This record gives sequence, C-alpha cells and structure tokens, in this order.
Amino acid sequence: MPRVLKFKVNIETGKQGPNETVNFCFNNHKMPFENVIGSNESDAIFEGSFDVNSFAHSLTLVGPEKGKWDVEKVTVDYECEGEEPYVVKWGAVTLDETTEMNLWQDPPAPMFDV
Amino acid sequence: MNFIKRFFSGMKQEDSVSEPVEVVKPITEQKVKSTTSSTVATEPDAAEERFSDAPPVPRVVLHAPVVSESIFPAESEDILIKAQPSQTGDQCMFTVNQVLMKGASWYFDNFESAAESSLAESLFSLDDVETVLVCESTVTVTRKDKTLIDWTALAKEVGAAIRGAIEEGSYLIAEKIISSIPSEDVIREGIQKVIDEEVNPGVAGHGGQINLLAVKGNTVTIQMGGGCQGCSAADLTLKQGIHTSFRKAVPQVGAIFDETDHTAGLNPYFS
Repeated sequence: MPRVLKFKVNIETGKQGPNETVNFCFNNHKMPFENVIGSNESDAIFEGSFDVNSFAHSLTLVGPEKGKWDVEKVTVDYECEGEEPYVVKWGAVTLDETTEMNLWQDPPAPMFDV
Repeated sequence: MNFIKRFFSGMKQEDSVSEPVEVVKPITEQKVKSTTSSTVATEPDAAEERFSDAPPVPRVVLHAPVVSESIFPAESEDILIKAQPSQTGDQCMFTVNQVLMKGASWYFDNFESAAESSLAESLFSLDDVETVLVCESTVTVTRKDKTLIDWTALAKEVGAAIRGAIEEGSYLIAEKIISSIPSEDVIREGIQKVIDEEVNPGVAGHGGQINLLAVKGNTVTIQMGGGCQGCSAADLTLKQGIHTSFRKAVPQVGAIFDETDHTAGLNPYFS
C-alpha cells in the first residue's frame, strides 16, 4: 500500500454523459477533482488531478447523481512515494447513481530483462 | 496530511455555502423554533433531514477491464524474456515474446514430470528450481531455497534455459501431455465437485467460500468470497489448500488464477 503523492485522470465519455461535477472517492472520502479541463458531457474528454499525499486503500470514480454515464476509457497517471510513475488504462463501463468505478491499481512489480 | 487538510477544509466550505447559520445551531434549539414559529413549522425540518438515521446507500464498485499494452517492442525477431518476481519473492514469472503452450497450461511439480518436455527439462536442470508452471507465453518458477528472495542470479539462468530450449526447436511441452488434457467440461465438473465436497466445507468454518468463475482450456479461474476476501491468509489458503486439492482431484489442471479483489467488497473478512 504505497503513499500516493498525486494522480491525474483522463476520462473519455461516450454517447451519454451527465455533464456534472466529477467526483472521486479516496479511502471512502468523496472529493471533486482539481485542475479540471473539459467535462463529462457526451463525447467529451475530462481531465483532472489531485495532490493526495496519503496512503491508498481505495480509489474510485463516483457515478453521476442522476442518469447514466458511459465511460469509454479512463487513463490514470500515478505518482507514488518510492515508486516509478506508472499509468493504468481501463476500458468501457457505464456508471449511474448506484455505482462507482475502481481506479486503483498497485504499482506493478519490478520487471527486468533476462 | 495535505489530503486530510483539504478534505476537512472542503467540508467546511461546502457547509458554509449551503446552510450558513442553521448547521451550527443545536437540534434542540431548532425544534423549539419550529414549535414557536409558524413560518418554520410549515417548511420541512432541515435539521431532521440532515441528521437522518438512514445510512447512505453504498455504491457498488465496478471493475472495468484493464487495457494492457505489450511489454515488448513490436515485431522483434529476437527471443525477449522479462522476469517479474512476486511481491513475496517465493516465485518469479517469466514472460516471453512468443507462445510456449497455445491455449493451455501445465504444472510440472518435479523433474520426472518434465520428461520429453524440453522446456521443463532445461529448467529442472538448474539446481534451485522446484516447480515450473507453463501458461501460454509465461513460465512461473518457484525455487527450493525459500530463504532467498533476490531472483537476479537465478532469473538469468532461467532466462538462458528458456531461450536455449526455444532455440533447440524440439517439443517444448511433451505431446503426451498435450494429448492428455481433457475437455473443459470434464475439468469444470471435476473442479466444481472438489469445491463443493472438499474446499468449501473447509473454508466455511471461517465464513469463506470459493467460486469457480471460468475454465479455459485446462486453466481454472476462481474467486474467493465471504471471509476469504481480504483475509491475510488467503494466499496461503490458495497455494497450500486449494491448489493441492484441485491438482489431486484433477491432475490435468494447469494454471489456477485467483481473481478476487481482496481490497473491495461489502463484507471483506468478518467486517
């Protein structure tokens, strides 16, 4: 469980987007993103980041308060203490007021050529 | 600390914007006000709404598929191998840029089982190799000396052995092994039986349960639920209990994957 210094998301919305504030949950604390560019309306791209500086137990993208949100693709850039920066990409998922999407993945185990 | 400060400061800001005065008043005072003021009594009681006993409905966490990208440069003609030791250091996975066993997997638990399989024979010729699992384009090796967690030296030897076996060009996996792999239905039936009759009755004492998610070729994917999800002994249960039971009941089972998210769920380990 590493200490997350910062993470940045890039979310591509599909045919249906709620166009409302995008929130995430870090260790069950719901927060809005900072440094926001774009939106989550239909066919739009949303970018946001957050300087967390805390240990990660869970990180999720919160579904909209009303309606559905077709998430086409999510890319997350993580900066963790003592780890090389890494990127994880997720595929399509549809969120609504009862769901959230996992955005956490541990840093990859070290790999080397043999 | 930065995150915590922002979290609490964020809460204060939100409160001050939505309900600037009433929030700081005690509930008792607001109730008195509602009985003495006709204007307030006709409106919904904001304090009661705010301090409702009903807990927030938990959202279901969805797990979208992770989009994986190749770890090797495209169209390389060389044999490229990457070593990735496990977090605990008890095993190391070697990924090769070509398929070693198409659509199936095989577990070699000793040198004798490696007969006629040039890949496994090469690996067992190394002193410290204990078991070998071949699955598609990966080879997972466990070592005899459990006190060593640095794989650098052994990994280079394993890499050279894998490369040598591929270059040799003979059967990486013996034909008799490939022809002995039964159908997915036979494996599914055998694994489900051992789960129902042996594994689940065993883990039920700890509030756990094992579900068979998929059988592809002779590769089995399971999910641990109930008390097993998030349990610190889940890895031990999987490797020493479930693997042993599965291989004893259905010897042709190859790789066994656990797709449990031990950090998620509404009821991880006795919570």
